[in-house]
Amino acid sequence: MTNHLLVIAQIAGRRCAMSALDVKSVIELGAITPIPRTPDHIAGITALRSQALTVIDCRLALGLTHHNWPTDHRAAVVADSGHSYALMVDAIEDITTAVGEPGQVPGGFGAEWSRVATGMIETMIGPALLIDLPALLAGPDAMRHESEAAL
Amino acid sequence: MDDLLAEFIAETREMLEASSGEIVAWEADPTDRARIDTIFRFVHTVKGNCGFFDFPRLADLSHSAEDALADCRAGRRDPDPQMVSAVLAIIDRIAVMIDAIEAGEDLTVFGPEGGDELLINALSDTRETLVDDGSRAGKQGSNRHQDEPGIAHPSPADDFATDRAVSGRRADPAAAQRTIRLPVELLDRVMSGVSDMVLARNDLAHRLRQAGNQPTIDGPFERLTTILTDVRDAITRMRMQRIETLFSALPRLVRDLSAELGKQVMVDLDGGDVELDREMIETIRDPLTHIIRNAIDHGIETPAARRATSKRETGLLTIAARQSGNTIAIVISDDGRGLDEERIAAKAIATAMITAAERGHMSRDKILNLIFEPGFSTAEVVSNVSGRGVGLDVVRQNLERVGGSIKVASAPGHGTLFTMQIPLTLSIIAGLTVEAGGQRFAIPQSYVEEIVQGSSRALDLTHMGEAALVTFRGNRVPCLMLAEVLGLAPDAAATRDPTLVMLRLASGDLFALAVEGIHNHGDLVVKPLAPAVMRCGLYAGSTLLDDGQPVLLLDVANIAAAHELVSETRIRVLRPAEDATVQVVQDADRAMLFTDFAGRRSAVRLELVQRIETAPVSAIDRSGPRPRAVIEGMILPLVGLPDEPLSRPRVRLLRLSDGTCELLYAVREVEDAVVIDGALRPVPEDPLAEAVTLIDGAPVTLIDAHELFARFGEPPIAANRPKCTIPADDWARTILGPLVASAGYEIVHNDDADPATIAIIFDEVFEVAEALGRAPTGPSIRLRDHPEAPKGCATIYRYDREGLLAALGTAARSAGTVGERA
Repeated sequence: MTNHLLVIAQIAGRRCAMSALDVKSVIELGAITPIPRTPDHIAGITALRSQALTVIDCRLALGLTHHNWPTDHRAAVVADSGHSYALMVDAIEDITTAVGEPGQVPGGFGAEWSRVATGMIETMIGPALLIDLPALLAGPDAMRHESEAAL
Repeated sequence: MDDLLAEFIAETREMLEASSGEIVAWEADPTDRARIDTIFRFVHTVKGNCGFFDFPRLADLSHSAEDALADCRAGRRDPDPQMVSAVLAIIDRIAVMIDAIEAGEDLTVFGPEGGDELLINALSDTRETLVDDGSRAGKQGSNRHQDEPGIAHPSPADDFATDRAVSGRRADPAAAQRTIRLPVELLDRVMSGVSDMVLARNDLAHRLRQAGNQPTIDGPFERLTTILTDVRDAITRMRMQRIETLFSALPRLVRDLSAELGKQVMVDLDGGDVELDREMIETIRDPLTHIIRNAIDHGIETPAARRATSKRETGLLTIAARQSGNTIAIVISDDGRGLDEERIAAKAIATAMITAAERGHMSRDKILNLIFEPGFSTAEVVSNVSGRGVGLDVVRQNLERVGGSIKVASAPGHGTLFTMQIPLTLSIIAGLTVEAGGQRFAIPQSYVEEIVQGSSRALDLTHMGEAALVTFRGNRVPCLMLAEVLGLAPDAAATRDPTLVMLRLASGDLFALAVEGIHNHGDLVVKPLAPAVMRCGLYAGSTLLDDGQPVLLLDVANIAAAHELVSETRIRVLRPAEDATVQVVQDADRAMLFTDFAGRRSAVRLELVQRIETAPVSAIDRSGPRPRAVIEGMILPLVGLPDEPLSRPRVRLLRLSDGTCELLYAVREVEDAVVIDGALRPVPEDPLAEAVTLIDGAPVTLIDAHELFARFGEPPIAANRPKCTIPADDWARTILGPLVASAGYEIVHNDDADPATIAIIFDEVFEVAEALGRAPTGPSIRLRDHPEAPKGCATIYRYDREGLLAALGTAARSAGTVGERA
């Protein structure tokens, strides 16, 4: 993981890292067409050339309900199982390199964060939470289904 | 050389794929000459090719198979199951080797060079038992690098010649079609390029429309459009492949599996001509295989077990593909033991998927579909056929990834039926853009039957509980409000006056979708949506509009299904009722049911009802001997009003017409159009009632239209409203004018007056004019300033509203006759 390139973004006021290999590009978010009757974290779809991207509000995808975050006009484009998503975050900060392996912190990151975080990773600009993209994209309901199934 | 090798590998693969079906057919009937020929050609070609590439092991294998088959062809031996199995084993080995060659592996991975002996000997051994020719078998093992000089069987050269001739003949019909092999990746690039081109064209079209007509540009642009349409069609076809390519490998799969499991299975394939996107065929290959494995492993019983339940020993596996609208349905059904609801439920509870309490509330259908949940596998013994850790959850996941779905139905003891639904995404379809809740959505054009404006009288939107119905060409059709379906706030104005898109489903059901507006239609490049979005079941894809704005494509079939508009039962309930009506009574016996102001439930025959009007009370004039109302500038006689003044600001009026005459019938409430199927009992004491009948068990008075029109019918005082001149002063313009106009009269200038024009003039002016011999020629109304009328003077006090309107009414009628005569 050392020297691995990471895209650093603020999500719900926390510094998060995504592998630069997963991030295809960073785009200016244009008009977003909302999609009625879909989970809250799906903000809508937006166009990137002739491609349609599903816009995911990462804050809501975490399962947080607080709505006062700033939103960057840029979004990170990622792909998961053949579909492209644009991630709405507070701010896209930087691209930097990792300086270690992802590790855990005692006590965990909290329920919402633990679901989407692979671990903590030290980077050139400080520690960040390494995000597990499929888990983040699955949204908060995925968690609920799992816990229901476990009951 | 590499190119040639790649060509060899691809060709061999293709032949393998094509011949696998033949092989199974051959096994079923080992004496089938045509099959033997096909398989012989295959091994022969392989043999010829590998000699060229120096693959001695491959050459040996194909050679020995070829020998055996050549003997069969020449009638020197009879093919039997052992031989068939041996040939199949060799063909399989060839397939594995081809894979290894492609991967650049050394063929020694298959063991020492002599490792193929076993296979070849298997072939020879059987031959030995059948034909007394043991020496040959030995010779083959040792002289594998030598050419086979055989005296008894045809020389390879001869074979080659005849083979070419045969294949040449066979290829004749298709000879005109030259084909080349292309990487799928390149196809995809061309495809997405064309998609972008369509978008660019749409954008350009949009801009050209904005810029107005430009003949020098429009011509070439039209040509570009035509060319693009052609290219698009070709590209679309390029991507399409018959599902046959997928089906052709199935008989072999089924054969191998059933042999391995000691079961007898017959496979029946249907719908191979259904075309599907190449990519999609690849996507469903694994799910389909998995379900077939499951069906044979868990579904179909052993011959003994089948005999015990008095079924045929041979199980039947049916695989059928059907296209309906923008989805392909693949149905895989077996006649095996069916799914065990109890075991599935027990397993689900054991793995904490559901609780025992939940299980109590779950329908059989729900329980059965638990098999698609992650971590589910009922097989107690994990065989090497199915249950290798790849469960049905992966199947479902793979299908959902491309926007498809899978469900299962099963009857205990009778079989199981899997239905896979796959969308035809990534294609270009014609679509319609509509608006709901201020947002735009697209509907595939193929569903759209007709677009109807709500104001049109062909419709009659009624609400039955939560459901809404419209009348479309005499049929009651369910109606969905798109904004409601999507949970959007509907636009109030548009809800009152909706635009209806009539949609015809693949099943033949018709329903109306109420939208707030239609934008345009055009070609839409449909892109797949993320699984989380697909899961809500409302959308089939997304597309970009001319201006680059993304819109969602509605999944019409799914929306209809979710609202139970395609449910069989519903159709059955509605249909027979309609049919019965048609058979028993004529269409004529339909009536509009309403409650009149006396609180009496009445009905009037539907043919008479032109439309239902809602008029403000101000449009009603009750001053004359007969009440009248002004509807759209027409003065119509009005009946059915209560004696007391109206309390509400608006009145519902049935506008009745007999073709020439019209009248309005004021009602308290319009209920519904009904069928008069009860007996009609005459009511002699009420001249206005034709009869009393029972509708839904309650008595209803049927209005006697003949009497009604005889008494009140009048040709509408219509299109040309009666003209009227008024004095040219401020009082007349500001006070008299509006009153006259609201009563339905058109105020014209004196110069435009004709003989039918009613002149309203002040009495003193009239007297002067009369004295001068220039009295108005047409009807006139004289106004006086004092409330008290002087004796013998036909004047009306200027503030006597009722008197004035009555006089206008009388004058208009006489003027009407004057006008007609003129």
